[in-house]
Amino acid sequence: MTLAQRGRWLTLGGLVLLAGVYVRALAYTPTERLQGLAQKIFYVHVPAAWSAMLAMGLVGLASILFLIMKDYRFDRFAAASAEVGTAFSLVMLTTGPMWAKPIWGTWWTWDARLTLTLFLFFLFIGYLLLRGAVSEAPLRARYSAVLGICGLVLLPFIHLSVYLFRTLHPMPIVLKPSAPSLPGSMLVTLLCSFGVFTLLYVGFVMQCYALAGASDEARASDG
Amino acid sequence: MAEGPANGGYMVAAYVVAAIILVTYAVLLYQRTRNL
Repeated sequence: MTLAQRGRWLTLGGLVLLAGVYVRALAYTPTERLQGLAQKIFYVHVPAAWSAMLAMGLVGLASILFLIMKDYRFDRFAAASAEVGTAFSLVMLTTGPMWAKPIWGTWWTWDARLTLTLFLFFLFIGYLLLRGAVSEAPLRARYSAVLGICGLVLLPFIHLSVYLFRTLHPMPIVLKPSAPSLPGSMLVTLLCSFGVFTLLYVGFVMQCYALAGASDEARASDG
Repeated sequence: MAEGPANGGYMVAAYVVAAIILVTYAVLLYQRTRNL
């Protein structure tokens, strides 16, 4: 079985499990008393944000490894992770306002966390545009590695923005030094969703990596 | 137990939008990798 086929099966499994997470969130997870059903958006929004940040973190790490080792497999992985991260960023940026409207009374506010996550999305887009604009492989890999490392530097600011700035965005409730501040059943649903989104990330990246490999081979045979 | 605010429509919309984005991306990747 090829890498792309394995990625397809993982993706299919992830999508089926995502349906399972929806069922668990809707039917077997209690509704928060103050926020109502809108709170359940959290089970999609937070794992999407996690996956987007995981994607950018791995773009950055692969970029550093590429610059040190000059191994184009790292460049291909970074490109694959950036494309997948763009999709998860889109989920994060569309589901967030759908929670914000009923809870904050507005779709969007230019506070630090929201603005920085929008930067993250633009960074993904910029990364992909840069790769499309530079045709020479060594230059493309080097330029995009630098941009990928910039994305890695942005991540701690996004995570810590709720501590560093006055912001409307809720504080972390799971990824924090103390124990998660969620009732057990909500925490299980959230962790299941984290697992499913991570599985989808892996399945998507395997397919994108296979595509990048095929595209590099085609370019090499043309050139 | 007290009922929460009636905002289930936002939750449904968010779940549908997330599913559409992820399924659409999965289908696009399937089409792109089909001939590998």
